[in-house]
Amino acid sequence: MSPVDLHPKDSHPQYERVGADVTMKCGSMDWDAAVTWTVNGTDIDESHLNGSYLILKNVNLSQSGQYSCYEGSSWHLKYQTYLRVGTPPKEPVLMCRSNNYPKGFYCSWHLPTPTYIPNTFNISVIHGTKDMVCEKDAMPKNRCHIRYLQLFSTVKYKVTLTVTNALGKNFTTLTFDEFAIVKPDPPESVVAKPVPNNPRRLEVSWQNPSSWPDPESFPLKFFLRYRPLILDTWQHVELSDGTSHTITDAYAGKEYIIQVAAKDNDIGTWSDWSVAVHATPWTEEPKHLTTEAQITETTSASTSSFMAPPTTKICDKGAVVGSGAVAVCWTAGLVMAAYSVLFI
Amino acid sequence: MLNVTGELSGDSWGIFTFLCAALCNLPALPALNCSEELGAGQSIQQTYDLTRYLEHQLRTLAGTYLNYLGPPFNEPDFNPPRLARAERVPSATVDLDLWRGLTDNARLAANYRAYSRLLCYLRVLDGQVGTAELRHRLAHFCASLQGLVLSIGGVMSSLGYPLPAGPAGPPAPPGAHAAPNDFLKKMDDFWLLKELQTWLWRSAKDFNRLKKKVPPAVVTLRLEARGF
Repeated sequence: MSPVDLHPKDSHPQYERVGADVTMKCGSMDWDAAVTWTVNGTDIDESHLNGSYLILKNVNLSQSGQYSCYEGSSWHLKYQTYLRVGTPPKEPVLMCRSNNYPKGFYCSWHLPTPTYIPNTFNISVIHGTKDMVCEKDAMPKNRCHIRYLQLFSTVKYKVTLTVTNALGKNFTTLTFDEFAIVKPDPPESVVAKPVPNNPRRLEVSWQNPSSWPDPESFPLKFFLRYRPLILDTWQHVELSDGTSHTITDAYAGKEYIIQVAAKDNDIGTWSDWSVAVHATPWTEEPKHLTTEAQITETTSASTSSFMAPPTTKICDKGAVVGSGAVAVCWTAGLVMAAYSVLFI
Repeated sequence: MLNVTGELSGDSWGIFTFLCAALCNLPALPALNCSEELGAGQSIQQTYDLTRYLEHQLRTLAGTYLNYLGPPFNEPDFNPPRLARAERVPSATVDLDLWRGLTDNARLAANYRAYSRLLCYLRVLDGQVGTAELRHRLAHFCASLQGLVLSIGGVMSSLGYPLPAGPAGPPAPPGAHAAPNDFLKKMDDFWLLKELQTWLWRSAKDFNRLKKKVPPAVVTLRLEARGF
């Protein structure tokens, strides 16, 4: 009789749930045979054995591994399996969005908690009575896209995502109208610049998101928000056309943070905010620089104005970034305080 | 939802209903001289604005009406299959490339025809509705929708396009397409409102395209060529 009927390497792993009790038999060996079990090459203590069976109670994730059973004296490999401990899938999270209207939409998904074992995702899209194919994207994974065949449809789309693994399955469904999921990507290349000789202006410009295929027929409108770094409340401007705007009420000398969002003129929802840009309005070259040796660094118009209003600090910790300018600011503050005392 | 602020008195109601009925039966609307003076560019903008206003109005009207119909029609994920009888209501759905390739004339004509028919259906609805609040809202909406049809007609005339002919033959008798039961009647109403909403979304896009393609300057030249 050939000693080993099984292939030493079992190509199908054994999947078990976290918390389950697992009993492994040593192939065709009798219960009372003398065997040795190993996990990942390490011997397993006899206390876990019931005869030649290996008993694992209340398994946890760390017990995943390669389990092998050897005949006692000959050390022939009698049985081998790869144990993978995991969980059945929870209800998946599914999101569908059209950032390229009217071309189509994409759906992306993920599991709220990991299962620790391989999962298969299956997505189906039904439009009225028609089944549509959602083409899987290479990157990122867990994403697929659909091209619209018809526009201005009154029939809803129904997307069902099923996730399956060796321990169970789960699913979720989304039903929506064509218009409800329209949400562009944020505007790109946002640039904010000071305006020469205008201490209260900032010129902001941006571009349509490159994923929006037809801004001519499907124009976007924009929402701009800005605030000086030292304040918490935003100011908002809604712009129905054009990809630029001049802020005319900026506080002189204060660094601003600016963001832009986009929306189709008529349907859908606002995009996320764009990457934030920082800018400080133009200031005059400061005139009282001579007395302190430290105040020699005047790199650009972004250093603080020496005509700052008395109620606000000249420099805030967060306002000026890098290049030793922080030291300059604090010193400048002290000098200003000294001067104002002298001139009272 | 908006609150109803006052109602029309009985006399003005009668006149209003008569006007609505009379206008509905006209085979073709007369060309309006005033819109030619404005220039098509401005008229297109005004028509666009009207569609947005109507879309906003419809949201409130549809909410009230669907509540009146009751469940399941007022449930947000109500997604019934489209019955064959619903095909009579003009659908905004169109193949993407076809829609892109529409000529200005065809684009405007599709809108004109759709709203003319939708208006007639809405008026039938108006006559049957139960509550006074709904009648008031429907009447207001009909009036605005009539304004939209006239506005589109005005744009077409100022661009030199003929207005689409009215429905062929005499209007069908009132009971011809009546639903066989109460539930199907409500389904008809549901689809009417849905198509109306979708048409208003589509029109915004239609008029966006027209805005870009017909700047006011073009129209002035056209008027001169016609010897005005």
